[in-house]
Amino acid sequence: MSMTLTGLWVLPLFGCLVCSVLGRLWPGSVKRAAMAFSLLSLGAVVLAIGSSWSGGAFTTLNEVGPRWAYGISYRLSADSLSLALVGLTVFLNLICMIASWELEVSPGYWACFLALTAALTGVFLARDLFFFYVFWEATLVPMFFIIGLWGSSGRRHAALKFFIFTFAGSVFMLLALLVLVSSHHAATGAWTWDLAELDAKTLGPLARLVFWGLVLGFAVKIPMVPFHTWLPDAHTEAPAAGSVMLAGVMLKMGVYGLLRIALPLFPEISWEALPILGGLAAFSTVYGALCAMAQTDLKRLIAYSSIAHLGFCLLGVLSRTSQGLSGGALQLVNHGLTTGALFLMVGFMYERVHKRGLADFGDLASRAPTLAFFFGFSTLASIGLPGLNGFVGEFMALSGAMAALPVLAIVGSVGVLLSAAYALPAFQAVFWAPAGPGSVSEKMSDLHLREKAILWTMCGLMAWIGLAPKPWLAWFEPAIRGLVR
Amino acid sequence: MIALAPQAVLTAGTLGALSLGLMRRPSALGLRVLAVSSIVAAMLSVATGSVHELSSVIVMNDPKSLGWHYVICLGALPLAFFLDGSDDVMTALFLGATLGMSLLCVAANLPMLFISLEFMSLPAYLLVARSRPGSRSLEAAIKYFFAGGVAGALFMLGLALYYADTRSLAFSGSLSALGQGGAALMAAAALFKLGAFPLHWWLPDVYEAAAPEVSGFLSTAMKSAAVLFLMRLCEMAPTASVADFLPGVGALTAVVGSVMALRQERLQRLLAYSSIAHAGFLLLGVGAWARAGRSGEGASALLFYLGVYALMSNGTFGFIKHAGAQTRAQLKGLGVSMPAAAAALTALLVSLAGIPPTGGFFAKLLIFWRAVDAGLLGPAALAATAALISMGYYLGMIKDMWFEEPSGPAPVASEGLGVVIACAAAAVLLGAAPWLLAQAMEVGIK
Repeated sequence: MSMTLTGLWVLPLFGCLVCSVLGRLWPGSVKRAAMAFSLLSLGAVVLAIGSSWSGGAFTTLNEVGPRWAYGISYRLSADSLSLALVGLTVFLNLICMIASWELEVSPGYWACFLALTAALTGVFLARDLFFFYVFWEATLVPMFFIIGLWGSSGRRHAALKFFIFTFAGSVFMLLALLVLVSSHHAATGAWTWDLAELDAKTLGPLARLVFWGLVLGFAVKIPMVPFHTWLPDAHTEAPAAGSVMLAGVMLKMGVYGLLRIALPLFPEISWEALPILGGLAAFSTVYGALCAMAQTDLKRLIAYSSIAHLGFCLLGVLSRTSQGLSGGALQLVNHGLTTGALFLMVGFMYERVHKRGLADFGDLASRAPTLAFFFGFSTLASIGLPGLNGFVGEFMALSGAMAALPVLAIVGSVGVLLSAAYALPAFQAVFWAPAGPGSVSEKMSDLHLREKAILWTMCGLMAWIGLAPKPWLAWFEPAIRGLVR
Repeated sequence: MIALAPQAVLTAGTLGALSLGLMRRPSALGLRVLAVSSIVAAMLSVATGSVHELSSVIVMNDPKSLGWHYVICLGALPLAFFLDGSDDVMTALFLGATLGMSLLCVAANLPMLFISLEFMSLPAYLLVARSRPGSRSLEAAIKYFFAGGVAGALFMLGLALYYADTRSLAFSGSLSALGQGGAALMAAAALFKLGAFPLHWWLPDVYEAAAPEVSGFLSTAMKSAAVLFLMRLCEMAPTASVADFLPGVGALTAVVGSVMALRQERLQRLLAYSSIAHAGFLLLGVGAWARAGRSGEGASALLFYLGVYALMSNGTFGFIKHAGAQTRAQLKGLGVSMPAAAAALTALLVSLAGIPPTGGFFAKLLIFWRAVDAGLLGPAALAATAALISMGYYLGMIKDMWFEEPSGPAPVASEGLGVVIACAAAAVLLGAAPWLLAQAMEVGIK
């Protein structure tokens, strides 16, 4: 099954090229082609998951390509963590395509989403750090255009800010990788970028520098306070589908990088760094929640809540306990679903009335009851109501942190409380409170079938993970087993 | 003489252009064919392996000579396409300057280096002066001439000191303080030509006033020659302590160039500062190469960078020529009014910024890699900061083209779209398959 993995990222890339060509010839057919390729990509991922399942357990799929000069080799590998995130990517991409179906956008829109999917898939599959970095950076270009071309009023500034901030992190990540590779060569005489062959012991005194260089790159992406300032602008100004991909998948790259590269290569240093990194993560949960409480723009509120949610993921991951790691990994998927759904719904509202301020709505539940139901459902999932997915992830992440460094878990728990304090009042203001003078609620119409179908799927998954988390946790278990301290 | 085939071809081309000019009505087509075919023939004569290695007191052919022939010809080729053949003197000057660079590739001792340096510079001053009607280009040419004169004088003074110390006009293994001073002065001449901070002051004025395609030529072929010039100095005086300063100067140059480019409104001036920033990365590469024992790997990293930069810089200057846009404000809305040219420029800018998967990314990666490998972490981090700063204007220009509404009448397109698209396509292709350039140059990134 070796071609499957390459196919996973080449398929959407090919789709992107097809859409670019079609855009010149038959602009009207582009979105159908894009949808076809999105469906094919999802099918390919399902196929890959199926082929990795043998004898009641997951096996890691590997694909080893040629090795080029300077030890650069093409190696892909898919364990359960990679497959989960690739699955999330193609799933959300398909959701975005369906949600954007009626938008009047130029053909480039569809091509950009497919290019983004290709690059993200590559990030989660690559095991050669060179290719990892190339895919990592390549994700920025389509997202830059998605924000800049199809975003709202402040899109130009937000697109530049997004690119420059995240590039700032990754350029130092690249230097750290170069130091790692060069030291390995100096110590062993062999050039390699292969994650499995590199050994941080060759770094000697530079190890700390390299670790922090990598962490800087990941922390900007996550984003961890104080490297978060690009996020509210980018998420708010991006088109709805762009926000879904940003929050749903691109934020996960940072945590994934920690799980895949920083923790395995530097088990000791990362443990020593727990008070600093964990402290920042716990602070992120509180700070993100406090910022969210102060927002008057619904999209900005959800954007800040992402900072808080990713803080929980980090707490779990950094705790290096079995519970914490599984919870953190699960929370990556959870956050993609809940925040993705919330961003989509704000997008639906914005499409109808071109408003998204809390004060612009009121008493929306009577005008759009279905929307109110799904919004409430996703909000509850997001704040961690038992029985829904957020509870499982956050609870496990926090209990992991409790075992590692209790003070972090205590601060994180304050973050959980605060999440209810911003999410529920926001829901109340939009859906239940009496409509104010500037309200546009009466212009709102309820969701139509296409939108309902998307939300039923997403909310169904939230409930499934919440009610029966065991298979999901078992899914991640093999990937994180080696990281448990 | 087959060893000097490229030089012979270029000499023939220069003389041919001058002879055509003697005719009452010089054939424009003939001049165009002559310019392109001379450069292509010079490239092919290296590629076919007919140039064998040669080593004498005056001239030599080593792998570096051959490799640099390629990048110099690659940098010169777009201008050969842009020259419309209406002015035989321009064609002759262009081929003469290229001949000077070609001679620099094979120069084996310091006086020969000096002669070839002047040989390539004198036609370049006149190229700048003649490239555009009006007094601005003339003023720029005079400024360029004075800067070049200072560089030449520094070199001669340095050479005198060097000779007084070592009694040698070529290699010397050990230097006293006198020889060190001489080597430093000679290196300063190279930094002048390269436009390194703080000897860069002449460069933005010249690149802004010259016709854009000529600036493209100067920023690529001329810079490639200047890099080789500096490397030859480092080879001949391996103990010169000036080499230790190159990485720092390079990183600083990259920062200064990037910061200055941020605030520029006129495109040619912006690209001039951007070329200063790129010269900084190249200097960092030269410093790393010198520090790591002047290995083939370091040289091929520089060669790759120069090859990709030849495409990127010529492509962007060619875009200015093609689109007729003078300022960043005129870029606004070009994504709608000239989609093909704007897409090509976008690819070139992404490559200049060093974003994967483009040739510019690999070029920067190799330079940073050599620097890190040579233990130059500080300068590498500073240069990385410069690369980050440069995002501000490269992405800013992409933003202008695609995200902004047009703010005035759209500029009128002229010829040259083919060159821009070819440069952009090649720059992107080198990102997907970086070994192509290396293999073509037979230097091989080992």
